[in-house]
Amino acid sequence: MTTAFAVIQMMLTAVRRMIWSRQTMVSLLLLTLVSLGCIAWSLRGERDPADFLRQILLPMYVAFLLPMSCLSFATVGIAGDREEGTLVYLLSTPLPRPLIYTAKFAAALLLALVWSLGGLWVLGVAAGPAGREAVAIAWPAALLATLAYVGLFQWFGALFRRATIMALAYALFLEVFLGNMPGIIKRVAITFYTQCILFEAAAPLGVAPSGPHSATIFQPISGSTAQMILIVLSVGFFVLGAVVFSRREYP
Amino acid sequence: MSRHATADPLPAIAELTGVSKFYGPVMALNDVTLSLQPGITGLVGPNGAGKSTLIRLLTGQLRPGLGKVRVCGRDAWRASAKAHIGYCADSDAFYEEMSGRQFVRLMARFHGLFGAAARQRCETVLEEVGMADRADRPLAGYSKGMRQRIKLAQALLHDPDLLVLDEPLNGVDPLGRIDLLKQLTQIANRGKAVLVSSHILDEMDRLAERVLFLCRGRLIASGTLAQVRDMLDDHPLKVCVACNSPRALAARLALHETVHGIQMQGGDRLILQVRPPKEFFPMFSELACQEAFEIRRLEILDASTEAVFDYLMQASQPGAESKRVPAADSMVDRQGTPAS
Repeated sequence: MTTAFAVIQMMLTAVRRMIWSRQTMVSLLLLTLVSLGCIAWSLRGERDPADFLRQILLPMYVAFLLPMSCLSFATVGIAGDREEGTLVYLLSTPLPRPLIYTAKFAAALLLALVWSLGGLWVLGVAAGPAGREAVAIAWPAALLATLAYVGLFQWFGALFRRATIMALAYALFLEVFLGNMPGIIKRVAITFYTQCILFEAAAPLGVAPSGPHSATIFQPISGSTAQMILIVLSVGFFVLGAVVFSRREYP
Repeated sequence: MSRHATADPLPAIAELTGVSKFYGPVMALNDVTLSLQPGITGLVGPNGAGKSTLIRLLTGQLRPGLGKVRVCGRDAWRASAKAHIGYCADSDAFYEEMSGRQFVRLMARFHGLFGAAARQRCETVLEEVGMADRADRPLAGYSKGMRQRIKLAQALLHDPDLLVLDEPLNGVDPLGRIDLLKQLTQIANRGKAVLVSSHILDEMDRLAERVLFLCRGRLIASGTLAQVRDMLDDHPLKVCVACNSPRALAARLALHETVHGIQMQGGDRLILQVRPPKEFFPMFSELACQEAFEIRRLEILDASTEAVFDYLMQASQPGAESKRVPAADSMVDRQGTPAS
């Protein structure tokens, strides 16, 4: 009972501190900019959900805004305390380390979900009726991608002192660069699986990988397989992070 | 000769057994064995001696490469041991946006206290460290001394059996120091083990019942200051003597082989260099009685922590073994060997 209470307190404290952090400000700024882009986009003639998915959600939300929002919250969970020197207080409590990690993970996941799904909704609203229709199709992919990103970036937090820099390097290099490489190398990127889910869900709207060699370049997998992989990755990253955090010394 | 006094018969609250700690190729602690009993134990050593490593091992922040660290019978790394450890770290980090009271109350909740129990315990420890009336100000605006007190308050929240304080007197004003020293003594009097690391050796004289001397990762001496000083029988002891006829006394003392140097201090005082002290003092008593010298003052000048520390540091320098300390092997002997 007291352990559960302490874990919940730790989670709530982490949520409070993350809300009032500069990461939130950065995420808010990015969301505002993309939302303004959506408004401008919606003003340029007749738009349909497929256009919104192709022109806004895939290049701006899935490839950029979503990983950045998750990165902002997930990397500060553990790494923020490490950088500020306050981790020692958490590690001095009689709570098992996996529970401390879980509290931090839950806080980051809660905020990242609110931010990614809330952000998606804001973009949909900003883009008008076409946007709202597209959001209804896209949210399951966003939810699963958020789970995987938070798991991954929180693991980075347990692993690296400068987790934000490592996560940025990952997001910008692996996700963007390798994620757009031809062949199966892009399968190291979470974005790839998110796109596969989106393409399958939006297939009735005619949304598919585009370009003259799209089939050979993108080589999509089925949406259900992509969902399964993202769920397995989320659980795997969480377990990996908890094990690392439980065994690692933080001098 | 060992520099480790026989452990007290009191039950050990914390024990390190053959503990070594490596940072890559660097050995931060080398085969350290010690136990902490109720009371205040000082931890002294130069920079890089391994004090912080020892403290972090004891508080479960680090794991030993070799050996065991146990607190109240539990592995210090495990969460169950943390319930018995209060840790006042040397880092000056807080949740700066909070007030002192909010911070301490939050830490109480992290320790599983909630509701009225958390509030009550928080007020008790704030009162204990003298911060109850100032705890509502934001932590960011606190002086160094106030921040030290808040750190101490959070370490006391769960009434730990072992309280570990890394440089707790840093930045605390003289009056505050006296208060804190009193509080630490009171905590120790409640049967708790208190380990204090400090570079202000003068304070160790007043505070610590036992002292651990660390150098280059090894525990080079341990015990009460008097015990450790007594063990340094190959090192001349400085003694100040004031008497009615200092010249006559000096002439008599000069004949004795335990007196290695005599310095007239003017007036009625002599400064003697004696070795070994154990043989000097009985001889001196006998001489004073036989010759009817009126001894007005007899004071050991270098039995302070600082003097003992200086000597131990000199003796543990590379090359010092052959020149200064004949029993060099026992100087850095395996820890825990009872003193002869």
